Amino acid sequence: MLGRIRREAESITINRTGILGVQSISTQYESVARPLDSLGITEIQYAPQGAQTASLQLNTLLTNTLEAGYGDSYSLDVMQNFTGDIPFSGIIDYGTEKIYFSQGYMETYSVSCGIVEIPQTSTTSTIYGDFGTGSFPFWAQTSETPTSLNIPSYSSMEVNLDEFSSNRMTSFSVDIATPRVPIYTLNADKPDKVIAGTPIEVNVNFSLDVDDYKIKNMRFVPDETVFRNATITLKKNNSDTTLLSYSFDNMLLTSESFQGGVDSNAAANFNLRSFILR
Amino acid sequence: MATVFYDKAAVKVGIGTTSETLLATDCSLSFSSAQAPLYAIGSKGTLGQFPAGARQGDVSFSFLTSITGKHFNQQGNIINGLASGIKEAAANTSEVSGVEIVFAGVSGLGYLNSYGVGVQSNSVSSSSAGFTFFGSGTQLPVTGRLAEFAGQTIQTGQLATGIAHGRYTNLDNFATSITAGDTSAANVFSADYSITFNHNPVYKVGQEFPMTCLYTNAQETLGLTEDIFQSGLAFDSAANDLTLTLSGLAQTGPGMHIELKGAKQVSTAMSAGMDDIVRTQKNLTAVY
Repeated sequence: MLGRIRREAESITINRTGILGVQSISTQYESVARPLDSLGITEIQYAPQGAQTASLQLNTLLTNTLEAGYGDSYSLDVMQNFTGDIPFSGIIDYGTEKIYFSQGYMETYSVSCGIVEIPQTSTTSTIYGDFGTGSFPFWAQTSETPTSLNIPSYSSMEVNLDEFSSNRMTSFSVDIATPRVPIYTLNADKPDKVIAGTPIEVNVNFSLDVDDYKIKNMRFVPDETVFRNATITLKKNNSDTTLLSYSFDNMLLTSESFQGGVDSNAAANFNLRSFILR
Repeated sequence: MATVFYDKAAVKVGIGTTSETLLATDCSLSFSSAQAPLYAIGSKGTLGQFPAGARQGDVSFSFLTSITGKHFNQQGNIINGLASGIKEAAANTSEVSGVEIVFAGVSGLGYLNSYGVGVQSNSVSSSSAGFTFFGSGTQLPVTGRLAEFAGQTIQTGQLATGIAHGRYTNLDNFATSITAGDTSAANVFSADYSITFNHNPVYKVGQEFPMTCLYTNAQETLGLTEDIFQSGLAFDSAANDLTLTLSGLAQTGPGMHIELKGAKQVSTAMSAGMDDIVRTQKNLTAVY
């Protein structure tokens, strides 16, 4: 009999803690076994060519916050804490089956929100350790998946940027790219270490319904470079409890765009970029 | 005219009754006849071009490092066995016979000039070799016509268990270790081995091609990439007999051995590039 697995039978556990508010999970690997080619080839022989890794993409509502007991150096967003040099392991459950993974290192992290939306985070990670089926009881979930929702929304968000006094921000996104450098040795298929590369590239994108927003003269860039300090604070809905705050100094204005249409307000987008050295 | 696609351009090396078709990834063969112009007083133009030496050819190829065979009591591919035998000969009898090399229907009797093997993490090992064709007696250095040359095709796929691979090769016995203070041993990231031979073809009056070829000496070098810089490089370090063992997928079989006799470390270096760690290199040499 054919069956199907729906969302209620799917879950993900990272570092033994269940993640709440997951919107989508995708994970995959591609074998590095490739046929060997040679002059006068008479048969196909396969050999691994390159390091075997897998990848994991995770989209979550920004409702799952770090449980109490962690210091101030940790972000309340569970996933944001993996932009540093900490690896993670976990289990994806679907029905009665499980996919295990270890030595996951986050490569990109982004958070975005628009009008009438709950902020979402999207992450992509590379799995350098194990991936797939097997018996890994030490990765089992040890704590209950949090059930209390900490829902921020566009109505409880504060953005500190000069342009917003007369122009309405309709959406934003923060994209953080954290490079990884795996170091492989002879006689091993897992890296000896994974170095957290530098610099970390941060892109902040804003969309505005414009009133008096001035598109800069592109000839002024980069000679008369526009630097901005951007702070985005997400608070719990209908409260003054700060859940997350993103603050970046001296970001470089790198692009602007303008759109007008018959059935929409005039809109502008701009991108700020900065690099953080670890 | 012969049109030969690469899949019918095998490289085969044979010595006596033993031979091996290598998994060559590239091969180039050349044949040359040295001609020198002659000039004379009283003649404005050249008298013509005349032979200035014996005709000879060269062949060089790269190949995947096969490790399953056994040649001349040496585990590994036929080139590895040949190199091992010749370096012993260079130290002893000196005189060795050439080996027959066939490439896409063209063949010659070659004398090994150089042989190298490289292995790095998570990669298939690759080797290279270079030969000179001197000919022998009245036998031309290079003969034959370009023609299709390959073995019987087998349609079943399989794992390449007989090819050396960095994933399965353990060179911890070559890792630099520092025992003073904070004891640590290096991680080995890659290794490059090479050996070069000097030989001397013996010509006699009355024939173009040599009557024999004598190997005079050989020098081998092993370069290792690690993550420890050995600043305590000795002025006169101790000589060691070392064995480089290259293993293949699933580590089946004994692996291919390369024995370095009386090897000494002659240099150490360190370098860095963008987005990478500082890697160190050390070179060992042995001579025969």
